[in-house]
Amino acid sequence: MRALRAVGRRVGRRLVASAPALLGVVVFTFLLMRVLPGDPAVFFASGPNAGQEEIDELRRVLGLDRPIPVQLAHYLYDVGTGNLGRSLTTGQPVLRDLTERLPASLELTVTALILALGLALPLGILAALRPGSLLDHGVRLVCSLGVCVPTFVSGLLLIYVFYVVLGIAPDPTGRLDIFAASPPDITGFLLVDFLLVGDMEGWRAAAAQLVLPAATMALFTLAPLARMTRASMLAVLGSDFVRTAKSIGLGRGRVVLVYALRNALLPVITITGIVFSTMLGANVLVEKVFSWPGVGSYALDALLGSDYAPVQGFVLLMASAFVIVNLVIDTLYGIADPRVSIE
Amino acid sequence: MEFNRRQGLQGLLGVAAGGTLGAATAGREAAAQTRAETLRQVMGGVINSLDPTTPGGTRENFGLAMNIYDRLASFGRKPGEGGMTFDMDNIRGELAERIDRSPDGLTLTFHIRQGATWHDGTPVTAADVKWSLDRAVSARSLAPPQLSSGSLTSPEQFKVVGERQVEVKLPRPDRLALGNLCIPFAMMINSTLAKRHATADDPWAMNWLKENTAAGGAYIVETNRPGQQVVLRRNDAWKNGEGGTPPFFRRVILQTVPEASTRASLVERGDADLAIDLAASDVPAIESRGRVKVVSIPQTNAFQTIVFNTQMAPFDNPKVRQALAAALPYEAMFQAAQFGRGRILFGARWAEVPDAAFPRTMPLNLDIDRAKALLAEAGHPNGFATTFTFANSMTAFAEPMAALIKESLARIGVEVTVQKMPDAQISTMVVERRLPFFTDIGSAWLPAPDYFMRTYFTGTHRWNYSGWNNPEVAALTQTARFETDPAKYEAAVKRMINLVAENVPMAMVWQANQDAVMAKDISGYTYWFHRQADFRDLKRG
Repeated sequence: MRALRAVGRRVGRRLVASAPALLGVVVFTFLLMRVLPGDPAVFFASGPNAGQEEIDELRRVLGLDRPIPVQLAHYLYDVGTGNLGRSLTTGQPVLRDLTERLPASLELTVTALILALGLALPLGILAALRPGSLLDHGVRLVCSLGVCVPTFVSGLLLIYVFYVVLGIAPDPTGRLDIFAASPPDITGFLLVDFLLVGDMEGWRAAAAQLVLPAATMALFTLAPLARMTRASMLAVLGSDFVRTAKSIGLGRGRVVLVYALRNALLPVITITGIVFSTMLGANVLVEKVFSWPGVGSYALDALLGSDYAPVQGFVLLMASAFVIVNLVIDTLYGIADPRVSIE
Repeated sequence: MEFNRRQGLQGLLGVAAGGTLGAATAGREAAAQTRAETLRQVMGGVINSLDPTTPGGTRENFGLAMNIYDRLASFGRKPGEGGMTFDMDNIRGELAERIDRSPDGLTLTFHIRQGATWHDGTPVTAADVKWSLDRAVSARSLAPPQLSSGSLTSPEQFKVVGERQVEVKLPRPDRLALGNLCIPFAMMINSTLAKRHATADDPWAMNWLKENTAAGGAYIVETNRPGQQVVLRRNDAWKNGEGGTPPFFRRVILQTVPEASTRASLVERGDADLAIDLAASDVPAIESRGRVKVVSIPQTNAFQTIVFNTQMAPFDNPKVRQALAAALPYEAMFQAAQFGRGRILFGARWAEVPDAAFPRTMPLNLDIDRAKALLAEAGHPNGFATTFTFANSMTAFAEPMAALIKESLARIGVEVTVQKMPDAQISTMVVERRLPFFTDIGSAWLPAPDYFMRTYFTGTHRWNYSGWNNPEVAALTQTARFETDPAKYEAAVKRMINLVAENVPMAMVWQANQDAVMAKDISGYTYWFHRQADFRDLKRG
């Protein structure tokens, strides 16, 4: 009970400590969007015959006619009250867009990460156990290929092979077959929602849609994870306690998986956290190729259109995600290595 | 009205209610049966409002609105080069069954079709029509500036004169008044329903109509996920079309698929039925594989243009513009950028324009010797340095154009730096007249020659790309607009074309094709002025 309270206190302290950073991010993004060339009022007032009057009107509606400090104060007040503004690109409140799209991005990223970890850990361990062997070189080759091929190339390639040529993948447009019924919106995660209502056929359909984009992302994230596992395992396998464990006759599996792996996991967890937060926002290309309704492509479209509110909302979301992921990672450290305690 | 995703999709599949599992399986069977009567279009753009007049709306909104709302009148259709196109000279009633025009051209009387109803079943009244027209000229939206091009500016012009009769009074016999009532902005709204959602701040229900409809058109919105997809259901009671019958497709799914190659795969595999925005470079290959039908129609109311900023040195000198226009590699650009697909606007040899059609082929020809001579005359015998700019979204065709322009202008000593810019940035720069030399696309909903001239060669707005200010053209556009004598109109237009040919504020180079790629069994595709598909024209088999 005391331990739980300590964890709670630590989490609380961390969240409070991250508030100034989040505020900084909000203000910085706000200012950055306004120094970027490109006037949203001009861009969006592009209807036939739209003239200066329409541009001014749109500027007034967007509040862009007021001085920047006033705009900033209004924006901070709005963010404080949970209003992130309205997207010109989709015409919807940013908060609604993000809450609808974040589960899509999360579902894809988490699946990809599980897939990547499921491959990277065994590959990294095997490579570390036999450094310099054919297997090690094979793993290195797979990793290099995964990183070298940009995700839109591997994505299009997977679509070409599995959808166009072989015809075994469903059409690569979004989270669910367009003719299928979607589950009730409970969590926003289709796989979870289908399970909750017990619709296994729907679950399989949603999972099938997820396979190609998740594989594309997993290929890309495989390299940092596998390489880090290998390097970290190599270091640990050469350390004194592993030699001791071997010398007193402990089983090989026990030595590798229990003693060595647990000690080697710390850097892998760190990398996993970074990879996760990066992929959440940076998988724009995968989202575009697979028409995945995620937050990354949403923010990119907004940025290209100088649509301020969604970009600001997206950056705030990503900053918050970073804070939370870091918190989770720090908690995981404690599990992987009880000696670590981050205050 | 809140759209519930589940209810919507159940409706789509023809399932009224049921247990979750039951509904899902029954739904799939129903889906197989209705697939033939379902049209699935994939597109790169997004729908961001159900109201086409929303400021900041996309072009896709316009096409959608044509299918959801009716207007008083509609353009006809005619067979043209490559396929069916809209016919501005042949206007028929849509929600109006009869249109009377007074002999002096100042009064239009619309008679609402007997028995016409809104989607909620209530009858269409003259008061609804009046409210809709009032909204189109009064609301803070995209509509008023467009409708003013047809002398429709004030609610006082619209009068209810009978139970089903509305009169439109014009201050002058404007040749574009009726045309302006055929465009998406002149949609007819169920005013009783819309007014229920109007507020003191928002008397025209602009906010509510963004996500809801108060319409009576051929299709009813079933689900709308902004930025992702819209599903439409046929309005079986709709009788305002060409033959008085409802359209063929019972369902239409309009889905955003950002990647052009994915859209192409979807149509080629038969999972989607229609795409009108594939990459021009993919179309020849798709055509040669022959798995789908490709309908290529020149966009006769649009044009690609190479613009000289007439307010910026050295392009303020007409001789410099003439010189550069004589040094542009037109044919090579057309082949590299458009693969020769479309209608060219260069290569004419006349000195005096033979007729009053516009846009038309202009006397733009590659002639390096002439270009050199003109440049020397203009006082730049050794050329100069300049920047050629294009927008990110035009990369596919503008990049090869830019490379060829750079190469060709180097031959007359003009050194060109190529610059690519985000779309939002380039539109700002164009409005502020800070770009010397760039390419852009223009289009007009009402492609009358004088309207093109007025929009693209006069005024201070963005569409006068070159910032050209010629008093004679400005005066001629104003008289041509109200000219009732065809001979005088033609003379005025010819004079303007000659002035453009002589001064080259910009070089309009071609009208690209719209390549509509569709399943082989789909027919009836028509190219419309708003450059979107009209689902009411289409059928399978």
